[in-house]
Amino acid sequence: MKTYMSDQEDQMTLEPQGEDAPVQDQSAVDALETVIEVDHVNFAYIPGTDVLKDISMNINKGEVTAFIGPSGCGKSTLLRCLNRMNDLIPKAGLTQGEIRILGTDIYHPEVDVIELRKHVGMVFQKYNPFPKSIYENVAYGLRIQGVNRKSVLDEAVESSLKLAGLWDEVKDRLDSSGLGLSGGQQQRLCIARTIAVQPKIILMDEPCSALDPISTTIIEELITQLKQEFTIVIVTHNMQQATRVSDRTAYFYLGELIEMDVTTKIFTNPSQQKTEEYISGRFG
Amino acid sequence: MSLNDEKKTPENEKDGRVVFRRKGFQFLGMGLQDYIRVFFGGNASLAIIVLILICLFLLREAAMFFPDHHQGLKSYRQGGQELVGYVSDEVDAHTKVYSSANIAYFAEVGRTSIHEDKQLRAYRTVLANVEQSTKYTWARLERYLDEAEDLNDDVEDLREDIEEASADAEADAEDLKKDQAELAEIEARLKQLEPLIAKEREQLEKEVQTALGTSRVWDLDIAARGLSDEELSMVREAVVFEAYPDAEDEHESIQNLKQVSRDKKAAEAERLADFKETLNGIRDSIRPMKSLYGEMKDISVANRREIDAFSTAPARRAALLAGVEQTDDPAEKERMQKQADEVVIVEPDYDAINEPLYALVPQHGELAGPLQDEMNKLFRQLPQEVETKSARENMKRAAVYYERFDNTVTNNRDRILDWRHDAPLSLWTSTTSFMFGKHWITNSSWHDFYGLLPLFTGSLLISIIALTVSVPFAVAAAIYVNQIARFKEQSFVKPAIEFIGAIPSVVLGFFGILVFGEALRNISQLEWLQWVPGFPMAERLTILNAGLLLAFMAVPTIFTLTEDALNNVPAAFSENSLALGATKLQTVFRVIVPTAVSGIIAAILLGFGRIIGETMVVLLVAGNKIKIPDFTEGLGVVAQPAHTMTGIIAQELGEVDSGSLHWRALFMVGMVLFVISLLVNWAAQRTLKRLQKI
Ligand SMILES: Nc1ncnc2c1ncn2[C@@H]1O[C@H](COP(=O)(O)OP(=O)(O)OP(=O)(O)O)[C@@H](O)[C@H]1O
Ligand SMILES: [Mg+2]
Repeated sequence: MKTYMSDQEDQMTLEPQGEDAPVQDQSAVDALETVIEVDHVNFAYIPGTDVLKDISMNINKGEVTAFIGPSGCGKSTLLRCLNRMNDLIPKAGLTQGEIRILGTDIYHPEVDVIELRKHVGMVFQKYNPFPKSIYENVAYGLRIQGVNRKSVLDEAVESSLKLAGLWDEVKDRLDSSGLGLSGGQQQRLCIARTIAVQPKIILMDEPCSALDPISTTIIEELITQLKQEFTIVIVTHNMQQATRVSDRTAYFYLGELIEMDVTTKIFTNPSQQKTEEYISGRFG
Repeated sequence: MSLNDEKKTPENEKDGRVVFRRKGFQFLGMGLQDYIRVFFGGNASLAIIVLILICLFLLREAAMFFPDHHQGLKSYRQGGQELVGYVSDEVDAHTKVYSSANIAYFAEVGRTSIHEDKQLRAYRTVLANVEQSTKYTWARLERYLDEAEDLNDDVEDLREDIEEASADAEADAEDLKKDQAELAEIEARLKQLEPLIAKEREQLEKEVQTALGTSRVWDLDIAARGLSDEELSMVREAVVFEAYPDAEDEHESIQNLKQVSRDKKAAEAERLADFKETLNGIRDSIRPMKSLYGEMKDISVANRREIDAFSTAPARRAALLAGVEQTDDPAEKERMQKQADEVVIVEPDYDAINEPLYALVPQHGELAGPLQDEMNKLFRQLPQEVETKSARENMKRAAVYYERFDNTVTNNRDRILDWRHDAPLSLWTSTTSFMFGKHWITNSSWHDFYGLLPLFTGSLLISIIALTVSVPFAVAAAIYVNQIARFKEQSFVKPAIEFIGAIPSVVLGFFGILVFGEALRNISQLEWLQWVPGFPMAERLTILNAGLLLAFMAVPTIFTLTEDALNNVPAAFSENSLALGATKLQTVFRVIVPTAVSGIIAAILLGFGRIIGETMVVLLVAGNKIKIPDFTEGLGVVAQPAHTMTGIIAQELGEVDSGSLHWRALFMVGMVLFVISLLVNWAAQRTLKRLQKI
C-alpha cells in the first residue's frame, strides 16, 4: 500500500496548513501516515451471513478516500464499522479481522466507544440538526464533553461554522432553530457540528445525495478544504463527485473490495475488469 | 350517490335498459354499501347530537343556579342572618383558641403519667378487641349466668316460703306442695344450666386465649407503643381477668394504675393551677357574647322562616290548586281548596323584622372591645414554655387562632355597624360566593352555603400529590423502557404498567381503604419517621392516601403517552448524537427528552385530567370531610381528610331533589370540572401540535 503514496507526497507538503506552524511540520513528516488500517475484515449483521468479506485497506492521513460501488455492496457497512456505529444493531459485528485507527484496534474490549467517536466523526446522508438553536447544535459535542465556558464555546462555534462555510449566512441568527435552515445549510450545520468536536477523521455517508446541485457543489468545495485538517472517508454514488473530491477511491462489489487506488487511476485506468465495467457503465 | 347518476346518462337509457345495472341487494334505490354508510354515519351523528344535548342540559341547569343562589343570599341578608354570621364568626374563632389551649393543658397535665396512661390505653384497646372477637359467646354466657342468678333468687325465696309454711301448721298443704314442686323444677333447671355455663365458660376461655394470640388484637395505637414485656403481660393478665361477664371488678393492677395516674395528674394540675385558671378565664370571657349571639340567632332564624314561607307560598298554593283539579272526591276537593285559600302571600316587612337585630348592635359594640382586651390579657398569661410535644403544637396553633380571633373582631366592628339588611346585592356576589365561598354546608337549619373552595382545595391538593408522585415515576419509567431497557424488559414492563389502567377504580378504592390506608397509617407511626410532616396520621382516609392511589392510577396514562412521545423522536437524532461521542444517557437527556418535551407535557396534562376527573377512588378514600384543610400544619396538611369536586357530585346528586338549589349547585361543580378538563385538554392538544411541527 505504501507505494500508492509516492505521487501524493509532494502535493501534501505543498499545501498550506492553517495557522499552526508546528502542525504543519508534523504533517509534512507524517504525510504518508496511515490512520486507518482495515485488516482482513469480515462483518455480519446476522451471524452466518457475512456482508463484508475479507476487506483490507489503508486510509491515509489528510486524504479524501471515496467508497464507490453498486447499492447494497457494503460501503455504508464498512464506513459504520469505522466508528462502531454498527454496535447499535444487536448481534451485528466483525466476524474476523481487525480495524486499527491511529494504531489502536478499535474492537478491542478496552476501547471506549465514546472516546473513539470523538476522534472519528460522522456526517449522515439525511442531514439532521437537533431541534435546538444553531449555536447549541454546534456546541452540543463540546457540551457533552463537559465544556461549559461561554468563551470557549463561542470560539469553537464560530470557528467550526467558519470552517463549514456557514458563518456568514447564520452569524446573525445563531439563536434561531437549526431546523429553519435550507437543506444544504442544514447539512453544513451538521458538518460544523461534527468538526466542532475536532475529530481526526470524518466519515461521510452520501452527504450530498439529498441536496440540490448548488448545495452539492458547496459541500464538495467544503470537503476539499476540510481535508487540510481532517482525514475524510466519503461514500458516494456520484462518480463525478468521487473524481472531484477524492484522492483515492475504493471500489466495492458484493461485499468485497475489488480495487483501491489513486482516484485518477481508478477512473482512467483501473486494473480490475469489474471496476472497468462499473465505471464505464456509469459513464455511459 | 354516484351510482344513481349513472342511470340518467343517455347511454344507459339508449335502448330502454340499464347497461351498468347494479347487482346484488337493492332496496328503495339504495344498495348495501349505502345502507352501511347510512348506518355508521347515523351512529356518528347520534353520538354528536347526544353530546350536544348533554352540554346544553348541563349548561342550562348550571346557569339556573345563579338566580336561585342569588335569591338565597338575598334571604340570608334580609333575614339578618348575615349580621348574625359575623357574630358567629367571632364566637367560633374564640372557641378555636380555647380548645387548642385546652388540649395543650391536658397534654401538660398528663405529662408525668404518660407511662401509666399508655398502659391503660393498651389495656383498654386490647380488652375492646378481645371483647369484640368473643362477643357472641360472651352474650350467651351472660344470659345463662343471669338466668342462673334469677333462679337462685327464686330458690331462696321458695325455700323461705316452704320453711315458713312448714313451721306454720295452718298453712295450706296444697300450696306447700306446689311450692315444693316448683322448687324441684327450678333446681332441675339449675342443674341443667350448670354444664351449659361450664361449657360456655370453657369456650369463652378458649376464645379469649385465641384472641390474645392473634397480633391484630395487640395492634396498639402509637401512643401505647413502647411498653416493656412485663407491662404487656400485666395487661394480658388484666384482660383475661376482665374478659368474663361475671368479672366483679377491674384487675388490681389496673386499679392501681388508675390511682397512680389520677394522683400524678392531680399533682400536675396543682402545679398548673394558674394555667387552668387562665383557661377558665378564656372560657368565661365569651359568655356574654355567646348569649348575645344566641339571642340574635333566634331572631334571625325566625325572620328567615318567615321569608322562606313567603317565597315558597305561591308554589305551595299552586300545588294545592293543582290537587283540586285532579281529585274527583268533592270532600277532598273542598279541603284542598280551603288549604289553598289559607295560604297567605304576604311579603314580610323587612324593616320591622330586623328592628330587634339593629337594637342589639350597640350591645355587641359594648361587648367586643372589652372581650378583645380581656383575651389579650388572658392570652399573655398563658404559659409560654410547655413540656410536651402535643402541648407545644397546640399552643402554637392557639397563637395562630388567637391572631385570627383578634383580627376577626377588629374587622367586624365596622362591618357590623354598617350592616344593612336592604343593602343591594349584585348578581356578581352570587358568583363570587360560589367560586370563593369557604363553606359548603347543605341541609342546614341555618342557611345553606355553596362555596366551592373546600371542594376545590381538596381536589387540588389530591391532584398535586398525585402528580408529584406519578410524574417522575411514570416519565422515568417511560424513558427507561423506551430508551434504556433491553427488548425483553420492554416486553415485560410495558404491558405490566399498562395493565394498571385496567384495574377498576372501585377496586383500587377498596384496596385504598382496607390495605393501603391501614399500611400508610402504620408506617406513619414508625418512630424513626416522626420527622415527616403530618406523621403520625390519626386517619386512614386522607388526602395523602387518595393522592397516592390516584398517582398509581395516573401512571399508565402518563407512561403510555410519554412513551409515544419518545417513540416519535426520529431515530436519526439518537444516531447523530452518538456519532458525536455522546453516551447513551447524554443522548437521552440532552436530545431525546428535550425533543419530546412537549409530548411529555401533554402526557402530564392528560394525566392531570385523569386525576382531577377521577371519582370513585377519591369518594372512597379521601375521607369526605367538607372543610378547607387546615394549612397551619404546613405540609402535614396532607394527613387530613378532604372532599373533592367529583366526590361531592357522586355522593349528593342522588339524594337531592331535582331542580332544587342544592341540585343546581352540584351541576355548577360539574360545570367547573368540565371547564377544567376542557382547559387541560386544550392545553395538551396545543403542546402536542407544537410537537408535531418539528
Ligand atoms: N441493519 C441491517 N441488518 C441486516 N442487514 C443489513 C442491515 N443494513 C444493511 N444490511 C445489508 O448489508 C448489505 C450491505 O448494506 P449497506 O447498507 O452497507 O450497502 P451500501 O453499499 O451502503 O448500499 P447503498 O449504496 O444502497 O447505501 C446489504 O445487503 C444490506 O441488505
Ligand atoms: Mg449506504
